[in-house]
Amino acid sequence: MKRAPIVIAGTVAGLFAVLEFHTSPAKLAIPGGAALPATAGGTGITGGTGTASGTGTASQPAASPSQSSPSSAGAGSAVRTATGPRVNYSFGVLSVRITVSGGKVTRVGLAYLNDDSDPRSQSIDQQSIPILEQEALQAQSASIQGVSGASYTSAGFTQSLQSALHSLGM
Amino acid sequence: MGTVITIDVFPPAAGADDAGADDAWTADLQRRLARARSVLEYADEVFSTWRTDSPVSRLRRGEITAAAAPADMAEVISACTAARQLSDGWFDPWAMPGGFDPTGYVKGWAAQRALAAFDGLAMSGALVNAAGDIASVGAQPSGAPFRIGIADPDNPRRLAEIVQLTGCIATSGTYERGSHLIDPRSGQPAARVASASVIGPDLGLADALATAVAVAGEAGLALVEPLAGYEAFVIGSGGRRLWTSQFPFAPATTGN
Repeated sequence: MKRAPIVIAGTVAGLFAVLEFHTSPAKLAIPGGAALPATAGGTGITGGTGTASGTGTASQPAASPSQSSPSSAGAGSAVRTATGPRVNYSFGVLSVRITVSGGKVTRVGLAYLNDDSDPRSQSIDQQSIPILEQEALQAQSASIQGVSGASYTSAGFTQSLQSALHSLGM
Repeated sequence: MGTVITIDVFPPAAGADDAGADDAWTADLQRRLARARSVLEYADEVFSTWRTDSPVSRLRRGEITAAAAPADMAEVISACTAARQLSDGWFDPWAMPGGFDPTGYVKGWAAQRALAAFDGLAMSGALVNAAGDIASVGAQPSGAPFRIGIADPDNPRRLAEIVQLTGCIATSGTYERGSHLIDPRSGQPAARVASASVIGPDLGLADALATAVAVAGEAGLALVEPLAGYEAFVIGSGGRRLWTSQFPFAPATTGN
């Protein structure tokens, strides 16, 4: 089964952000650090207000601040990473890690995930965890090729993501 | 906002006349993916209300007229006008806070334009999924139609229904960006159903109609019923389900 590389494009600040691409029926695994098919429904992100849009998880994010760690990778291109704060999302707590190279987001992943409804997900290795509703739903029914509707995740995910971006000046 | 797009391309079925998924095919695919990406980035540059200097933001602030905006602005305005009329005003981008906001149409419009990047590629089918608004062409390699789940608004980890998709599907609901579902008649946030899905050949219009039906409630089904090629399905706040006469629920059997 042929697997295409994951492609990520542009910034995440606009209407369309990250592309994930499959040539086979969507795999449930999320390769470490690769783009997450998150759906972002939150509003007010630019202003950092990150609403929780009625998901029932309106608690404040945990206090851990964004961390950024500049690193360099070959040929003069600056690669930087940042981790966003832990935030509540529909199923638990997560924090987002991003990698930026040459001013573009090249990787979006999870630095932390704690999903109490699924004991398997207590580890930081997200290789085989369907963490987002769409993936979780597709995992339940291997005979579907997509899900329409439902973007519960998004307020928490986008909050952490936006903080990580902000810490890198994006 | 930061909508994430997923693109799935299904290679031709084994044994088809088309070449299989070899290196030349993959290279062609990558070029088309790049084209799809630039279509989406362009839509973002022009229509994102989160970008302070986008043409749509400048239009909203009255700094430019539509005539001075990129040509696609006129196309989107025209399509939104048609959608407003078809939806009897329940979809009204001009009634949004801050001025004209075509986001409820543009997401679908752009996703479908991105799908067009794959026209001519040897494949059994392809899907572009923009945060639950899905444009499709073709079918699964087996020949079976695509099967798409509709999320259960009351339980995010469950599916409410599965449909057989030809064309596009858009879903709007209270559990999403609730604040964008403004009732044009009152100017207030409103959603009369938990979830509204519209299927049809044009994703921009399906997107607009799903928004309209979500706000209008069950009466919104009557807007969609007479539209050739469009079907709708709603889940009311009590879980009550209603649909137009030919909404393409998948057969109850499992698998393809």
